[in-house]
Amino acid sequence: MAKNKQLSEIVNDLDERAKELRCLYKVENILNNNELKVEELFLALINVIPSGWQYPHLCQVKIIIRDMTIKSENYEESKIIITKNISVRGKVIGEIAVSYTAHPYDYDREAFLSEESNLLKTIADRIGHYVLHHDLNLIFKKFQNVSLPEVQENAGEWKIILDMLRKTDPILFMSILRKLLHNLVLRGSEEAEILMSQSSISIKAGDERVHVDENRPLKKKIINNYDEYINAILKLTSENFEKDEILLRIQKWMQEEKSIPLVRILEARESTLAEISDAIRKYYHLAPEKFELSPSIIKGLRVSLVRRFFTEDLNYIGIAKEFVKLTDFYKLIDKMIYQPTSQGKLGGKSSGVFIASNILEKRAEDVEILRNIKIPKTWFVASDCVLSFMRYNNLEEVLEQKYKELNELRLEYPLLVQLFKNSEFPPEIEKGLAAALDDFGDTPLIVRSSSLLEDQMGASFSGKYKSLFLANQGSKEDRLDALKDAVAEVYASTFAPDPIEYRAERGLLDFHEEMGVMIQEVVGNKIGKYYFPSYAGVAFSNNEFRWSTRIKREDGLVRIVPGLGTRAVDRVGDDYPILLAPGQPDLSVNMTLEDSLKYSPKRMDVINLESNEFETISIDKMVKEYAENYPGLKQIISIVDQHRVRQPNVMDDIASSDYVVTFDGLVKNTRFVKKMNEILKTLQDSLTTPVDIEFASDGKDFYILQCRPQSKGSDLAPDTIPTNIPDDKVIFSANKHISNGKVPEITHIVYVDPVKYGEIPDIENMKKVGRAVGKLNTLLPRKKFILMGPGRWGSRGDIKLGVNVTYSDISNSAVLLEIAKKKGNYVPDLSFGTHFFQDLVEASIRYIPLYPDDKGIKFNEEFLTSSKNIFEELIPDYKKLAEVIKVIDVPNSTKGKILKIMVNADNNEALAFISEPGADLVITDHVADNKSDHWKWRLTMVENLASRIDGDKFGIKEMYVFGSTFEGTAGPGSDIDLVFHVDQNEFKKDEFSWWVTGWSDALSEMNYIRTGYKSNGLLDIHYVNDEDIKKKNSYAVYIKSGAYKSKKLKMMSEFK
Amino acid sequence: MSSSKSFNPFAMAQAQFDKVAEILGLDEGTKEILRNPLREFSFSIPVKMDDGTTKVFRGFRVQHNDARGPSKGGIRFHPQETVDTVRALAMWMTWKCAVVNIPLGGGKGGVICDPHNLSMKEQEQICRGWARQMAKNVGPLNDVPAPDVMTNAQHMLWMLDEFEVISGGKYPGFITGKPVGMGGSLGRTEATGYGVIYTVREALKEMGIKPEDTTASVQGFGNVAQYAIRLYNELGGKVVAVSSWDNKDQKSYSFIKKEGVNIDELLKITDRFGGIDKVKAKDLGYSVEDGNAWIQQEVDILIPAALENQVNAETVTLIKDTVKIVAEGANGPTTPDADKVLIEKGIFVIPDFLANAGGVTCSYFEQVQSNMNYYWEKEEVLEKLDQKMTSAYLAVSELARKKNIFMRDAAYMISIQRVAEACKDRGWV
Repeated sequence: MAKNKQLSEIVNDLDERAKELRCLYKVENILNNNELKVEELFLALINVIPSGWQYPHLCQVKIIIRDMTIKSENYEESKIIITKNISVRGKVIGEIAVSYTAHPYDYDREAFLSEESNLLKTIADRIGHYVLHHDLNLIFKKFQNVSLPEVQENAGEWKIILDMLRKTDPILFMSILRKLLHNLVLRGSEEAEILMSQSSISIKAGDERVHVDENRPLKKKIINNYDEYINAILKLTSENFEKDEILLRIQKWMQEEKSIPLVRILEARESTLAEISDAIRKYYHLAPEKFELSPSIIKGLRVSLVRRFFTEDLNYIGIAKEFVKLTDFYKLIDKMIYQPTSQGKLGGKSSGVFIASNILEKRAEDVEILRNIKIPKTWFVASDCVLSFMRYNNLEEVLEQKYKELNELRLEYPLLVQLFKNSEFPPEIEKGLAAALDDFGDTPLIVRSSSLLEDQMGASFSGKYKSLFLANQGSKEDRLDALKDAVAEVYASTFAPDPIEYRAERGLLDFHEEMGVMIQEVVGNKIGKYYFPSYAGVAFSNNEFRWSTRIKREDGLVRIVPGLGTRAVDRVGDDYPILLAPGQPDLSVNMTLEDSLKYSPKRMDVINLESNEFETISIDKMVKEYAENYPGLKQIISIVDQHRVRQPNVMDDIASSDYVVTFDGLVKNTRFVKKMNEILKTLQDSLTTPVDIEFASDGKDFYILQCRPQSKGSDLAPDTIPTNIPDDKVIFSANKHISNGKVPEITHIVYVDPVKYGEIPDIENMKKVGRAVGKLNTLLPRKKFILMGPGRWGSRGDIKLGVNVTYSDISNSAVLLEIAKKKGNYVPDLSFGTHFFQDLVEASIRYIPLYPDDKGIKFNEEFLTSSKNIFEELIPDYKKLAEVIKVIDVPNSTKGKILKIMVNADNNEALAFISEPGADLVITDHVADNKSDHWKWRLTMVENLASRIDGDKFGIKEMYVFGSTFEGTAGPGSDIDLVFHVDQNEFKKDEFSWWVTGWSDALSEMNYIRTGYKSNGLLDIHYVNDEDIKKKNSYAVYIKSGAYKSKKLKMMSEFK
Repeated sequence: MSSSKSFNPFAMAQAQFDKVAEILGLDEGTKEILRNPLREFSFSIPVKMDDGTTKVFRGFRVQHNDARGPSKGGIRFHPQETVDTVRALAMWMTWKCAVVNIPLGGGKGGVICDPHNLSMKEQEQICRGWARQMAKNVGPLNDVPAPDVMTNAQHMLWMLDEFEVISGGKYPGFITGKPVGMGGSLGRTEATGYGVIYTVREALKEMGIKPEDTTASVQGFGNVAQYAIRLYNELGGKVVAVSSWDNKDQKSYSFIKKEGVNIDELLKITDRFGGIDKVKAKDLGYSVEDGNAWIQQEVDILIPAALENQVNAETVTLIKDTVKIVAEGANGPTTPDADKVLIEKGIFVIPDFLANAGGVTCSYFEQVQSNMNYYWEKEEVLEKLDQKMTSAYLAVSELARKKNIFMRDAAYMISIQRVAEACKDRGWV
């Protein structure tokens, strides 16, 4: 029973709210009805207002405005009454009262609900707005009449306007008068100057003229006779200005006045997002952009808004103010989530996409192809909400997390994530998230970080913080929980070890980082149990991976995949996005069927709506099951038909055909390329910098998801090429077809001498060069060596043209260089790595073509040929090739220095020179890779381990360390290679394994704490016995192998 | 080292020929005509590029010898084509056609260009330009081009179309490598892999071994390997190991199942490049081992059907004593060093240009069908392929047995002898 009662109460409450809303709606309708006269309008109001109250039959209304009073029929005074003031510009001009003719209850209970009081307040405010609007309209009408040519003769028209104003809006009137006076002074009117010095109507002290000789404060000289004063100004005005001019000015000032509250709030540093939103709402209501503001005021407003919502960055503001409309902010504020006291911003990613969409929208007015480019529906959580969130949960001490030791951070981070996920959100934020979900419905979402640093640093910071996909399925409660979970996780990522380490390395630790969050609808369609876009990808204004000399850098680059764009944004290594140069769409990377088959996407990322998970599935599976439902699939794939690739036709049953992803249809049958070109060009021109954008399509519409300057990309920024390197330190220079791309510090050079290679008399030995390079690829430190060779690496046809290698033979190199050495008059063509082009791209292996015979080019053959060649030591089996292949250990040949390669595509320049190591920050696959002490730590640890091994007890004769620990190239995730020489009769394998596995696990744990790399035991252990050594079986080569391959470790007995 | 010593593919091909010619005791005139191409064409192909400029490309055609029939050979698009390479390849085609005893000579051609720098439209212009320049000197009765490095069926169709416009008729036999329905032949996918097994079957027959009593190990799991395994299984043989390249790990693995691999089961977990999913393979009970494990199996037959140089000085020592036959499905899988060891061990080698001649034989069938404008069913193609391969094999093995020479030498001798005789019969020499 009790439950039922509660329920009926709730229903009753809801009914009341609905009634109120309906009432408000009616009120709004009446106020917006332009056809009603003022009296009619208020009468109408009086009739509808009772419907919003609990007891309409008892209800009566009275409205007093200025000298007008309107009452309900048979109005009788009552004590059961609520009254609210009606004000215009802060001044009370009347009131509205609702009263009951009799008390509705027999018992002692408030007659009116608090909601009813609020309702009345709202109605009073709306009436106030209406009156103001009405007054202004009147004034306008006057103006319009005045500006008509036929009434121009009448000299006093503008005075009438001012008279009107004086009566209806004295504050505005005085403000206009003041401006008139200023203008008169500027005109040089002496009388005006006198008036000015005497006046007190300047409200702010700053407006007063201060006599320089007086130190004491000026006394305000009050003119008692206002009329006289005003008349004086008006007289002067009519004497000094043309009638039209006065009118024009007054008109402008009146309009500007309307924006003042907004300007004031925006200027005030302490104003909150809530206040700003409110001011925007009011302003928009009052004066949508149809009222022409002066360009300077508009710009001022735009600048202030951009600054408050997005960034202080002057470049950004400078561009944004040209494109962003005030209405855009009006749309934005409805999709913002913030605390009442919030003063935060929306963060880096949000700013990028906001400005891009505005630029494209504006340019679309003139450029047809830019029309209908969409931005997915997005909600924004203000950046300082993360602070409120932490305050709300007493998590403030986490803020100091960033100053902790990295290993401590790493240990604590998983706990921190849990802590954040188990914390409550402040009610306002939670409400905001719930409202956002109502708006989104059950469309899958992506929750993206949009931090202040991402804004500062551009792309180089992207990917450091979390972006999470949400399937957003199930009950509202479940969906809200999942969303809160995701936001909490994004929040926690502010304190993740990797970004903090990254910040520390760049001196950004003290930057006040705040984390805004973007909640974005995932573009796509529901197909079966999956949700994904038909295609998505990234596009760059500058192409840094050109596969043909005909492709210019400005031709751009698009990486595109079916499904979610994650696989185009990231490099996954064993799968390939389709590459396209929008400026040269006909020059494709893949020329043969084999290339098309190999270098094409095989898997796609999707959201599984059933399991609520982000998944990678095979495209095959998708096509076999859903070929018919996949929008635009025919533009994405091509049919492989008897060694040919062709676009699908009506007759094709795609599900049962042999096909390959090519995007040929999209390129050839649609305007995709043209559109992409135009987007990149437009954004680059407007933002005055090359850009990279993320895009997606649901098969119908084209969406832009992100936009940022390309120059801020982590590894594609141009290097500054030093000019002061002495010639003897330069190894080579280049000035043709240079692409940007950071090259790590190089410790080894593999140089295949073009002349010597050309002289090899037989094909067998030529092939051996390829195999030797393949061996070097496994022996030399990963991403620390470069391969320099003649002509075309990986030449498939004529082996004379270049070393016969496959991708696996060069996969660990940092840079591939092709040397085009003149033969007679003829400079050979280079391959540009086309034989494994996409493998190079995905593995971040850089490519540089060298033309040593060109004018002004340096090529230090002396260094390459006369430095100590360690080839023979590395691969004694191939020692005959030592003439052809030089391997230079740079630190060994240069007293500890390294080879530095700087590239700058902007100037088309590259320079390689001998330099001190570590002078510059180097970006490789993983930030932590730069730590040079991984091997040292490992070596110390195994030396320690060795000293505790009782060889006699276990039957171990000796032990060696080899591989990356020995070579000093160990990365954070490397294991430690050990080989034990055991006595086959005495060796107690089980016992020893048990003992050493403990060490292995312990070291793995320690390494995790140091670096964040997890492994299943850190030691990679091999055993060999005397017979293996005799036969030189497998790992036996590392026993007593001499200085180059391994190091013997002292065991316990040797310490005695 | 002087540059005269530097590697020259044509000089190498000539040297190889000289060696065999010496054994065959060919006279000077015959040697001279076979050492060099009969005809060489070199010409310009002007092309209006997409950007409005004109570029002139260099085209080639070498007809090495057509004593036994129209020249046959591919057209290569290669940025640094040299005439010596084309000459060497044309000569190789002459021997290859002769060894399977099909009535065709050898040729090769190409254009110096890098397709990576060309749009499809520009490539079409190059193809049509080539056909225009060569129309008088090629044709179903003179010289029959085919796809090669960086060219495919599409290029062939453009050339064919241009040729037919010029000739004023339909001549599908002008070119091979066409799609089925546009003058192509059925059975081409199976041809090479089946061809390998036809020769293996004959070799086993000669050794008096029943195929069902044998086991084999195959390197590679591409098209050739897959069809070879299929036919070998049909004959009753059991493949216990295949190796396949893992693109993710950038290395190969061997997949071993002692009770015999199941080709259909493996194909389900194989990508289109012949990469077998090693995790799924383990689930299916395969033991996944090192890439070299395939060669170390105790089997009767090894079929290297992947890359060149796979049986080399290092790996040849790993071959078990049980192995009786090495059938070369790939091109040049065995190095000369390894050949010596194979001879010492008494292992019977079916050399590549005999074992994998199924492909060129099927091209010949395409031309035959095109010329009569009547196309066979797949069974008929494969049946005729079996006959050709079988008789080609028997001829080579008979010679090897009679003269007690290595199969590879015998194959060369028989093919050069056939061409030499044709020249003589025609009264050229």
